[in-house]
Amino acid sequence: MFPTSTNMADTKTTSYKVVLPFYAYGACSFLVATILLLFSLSTVNTHYFTPHNLAIVHSMALGWGTMMILGASHQLVPVMIEGKLYSNTLAYLSFAFAAVGIPVLVYGFYTFNMGHFTQCAGLFIVFSIICYLINLAASMLKSKNENVHAYFVFTAVLWLLITVILGVLMLYNFSYNVLPKTSLDYLPLHAHIGIVGWFLLLVIGVGSRLIPMFLISKYSNNQQLWWIYGLINGGLLFFIAAFLLALPNMCLLIPLIAIAISIVLFGNFCYKSYQARIRKKVDEQMKISLLSVLIMCLPILFLLIIIIGLVATNSGNMNFLISYGFVIFFGWITAIILGMTFKTLPFIIWNRTYHRLAGKGKTPNPKDLFSEFIFKWMAIFYLIGFFLFIVGIVFSVVLLVQIASFLLVICSVLYNCNIVKLFMHKSKIIL
Amino acid sequence: MKTINANTKIATLIKEHSDALEAIVSISPKFTKLRNPILRKVIAGRTSIAMAAKIGGCKVEDFFNKLQTLGFKIDSNTAVDAEETVVNTLPKFMQEIKPEQIIELDVRPVIDAGKDPLSEIVQTVKSLYNGKVLKIINSFEPTPLMHLLGNQGFEFYAETIHADLVNTYFHRKENKVETVNEQEKNYAEGWDEIVKSFEGNLVTVDVRQLEMPLPMHTILEALETLPLGKALFVYHKRIPVFLLPELEQQGFNYRIQEISDAEVHLLIYKD
Repeated sequence: MFPTSTNMADTKTTSYKVVLPFYAYGACSFLVATILLLFSLSTVNTHYFTPHNLAIVHSMALGWGTMMILGASHQLVPVMIEGKLYSNTLAYLSFAFAAVGIPVLVYGFYTFNMGHFTQCAGLFIVFSIICYLINLAASMLKSKNENVHAYFVFTAVLWLLITVILGVLMLYNFSYNVLPKTSLDYLPLHAHIGIVGWFLLLVIGVGSRLIPMFLISKYSNNQQLWWIYGLINGGLLFFIAAFLLALPNMCLLIPLIAIAISIVLFGNFCYKSYQARIRKKVDEQMKISLLSVLIMCLPILFLLIIIIGLVATNSGNMNFLISYGFVIFFGWITAIILGMTFKTLPFIIWNRTYHRLAGKGKTPNPKDLFSEFIFKWMAIFYLIGFFLFIVGIVFSVVLLVQIASFLLVICSVLYNCNIVKLFMHKSKIIL
Repeated sequence: MKTINANTKIATLIKEHSDALEAIVSISPKFTKLRNPILRKVIAGRTSIAMAAKIGGCKVEDFFNKLQTLGFKIDSNTAVDAEETVVNTLPKFMQEIKPEQIIELDVRPVIDAGKDPLSEIVQTVKSLYNGKVLKIINSFEPTPLMHLLGNQGFEFYAETIHADLVNTYFHRKENKVETVNEQEKNYAEGWDEIVKSFEGNLVTVDVRQLEMPLPMHTILEALETLPLGKALFVYHKRIPVFLLPELEQQGFNYRIQEISDAEVHLLIYKD
């Protein structure tokens, strides 16, 4: 009736020492990215392939999005698969490689120097992802517990590896002819494997576990999740095939529809969880995370406009292309991280501080370890900044874009204030 | 006759010469306490001439003058031991002190009754954790105690309110190893007491084999039907951190006992 003790020992929680560096790094990257955005406004809406835009996108996608996800998933994946993290050393290595690689890469883009340093930085990021992939695979193999969420995460990391390898090839392609076409030509492929294969698959895989959990909802629908899994991967594979075989632009609608359906299904999944929730009051962190799910519809909308434009005029509308990227990185991914940080980090800090003391007395509520007041203002600055920025870009109103970027910097400063508050938290138990 | 200096203990003087006691008492009325044999036994052994001079508000030379007449040889060249110098600037812990952190202990009645307050002080000192500060109210500056606790890793600060009222504050310096041991001991006690108070009123649930997020649902369901006055005892694999805010929101109190890395016991109850 009771599990054996060896089985039980495999459920150990990942050490906070592994996880916290990723969170700290992600928070700093967000600040750097918003500041870069503020100082790059003169070039932001000229073309997406400008040094500054590349620097901003990579500090957002790698420094912010990927580092936060890696941090959280080192903690969450063992919980999801009912096992434990295979190796702390691999986790540290993964952090170290990325922590060195990302700033060098971003600096290389910013100064548009694609030389040896930038190439090495790219390789470092590949090493980081390989470490993570090995760690993940070994953790999963050791745990006999298989579930749909784990498949989402593992496949997502495979796509991430493909994304960064392609990225490195594109870097080398500036100096040597390693690819048949120019690096600019491969940008849509690199970007979409990253966005759809890595971010979308991962967010849905982890979100479909966390959202019902945080809402305290009993809703689950694995069949629907498998459909989503098939649609996203099928859509992405079709997109890659269409790109490599240079199929007509019209064909791009097929993966778009597949991805759109998967997002609608995921939205439906979240809605059903929301309806079946036990906890009636939904906190601010969950609201912004659920809003992020809604924001997922925006890139689909922009993409539809872009593809129609491509089919009609054979060229993409630059304002919509820029907005598309902005909505993904500063919208969807940022919103979900802003919300989920304060649904995960306080618990990690709580565990660090109180697990030894818990029996002694009344411990503080994990959600009281950060300032709800700062969180609220961060969310307000974020939402106003985000929507003003899109309006400003789409209608080319420079003043709006300037105000919006400034609001986003304030948002990231407030975010960092709360992170610092969490990191500095000390036990208040009076013994 | 024995050679004495500023560091010589009062007990040594009294032992050496039968008239030394009265000679010292004549220096300051504060020393009349020494006539009490019990108090003399405990205090005199811990107090040097330099310390006594401070307590009595007189000079070391006053002692030397009186004692010389009894035939003691005086060595006035030996300096007062470094540790005997008492800090008079406001230390950091005093600047940060909050009223709720202070534990007051008035030792005047104990001393007036001719008893040694040391054991009571030592008992109280054991509870000085997490920034708590012991405030000793006394009729003189308890220099011997300051040195005794100073050697045990305490910071102290004495403030003289008036000639007959001195408040002395003690604060444990950060000492990680010692603190953790003490905390772990206390923490087990807290758990046992509460479990004992619910003896015979425990509803047990084992969620160790359940897959996420079922443990949380099972616990919340069990709490819904938990009869008044009973407590829920949960066997869990890990501390269910995400459950804790929910418990708090529903007005439940909880205690957690970590058995090992893979086993945690929880006790959930309403006050």
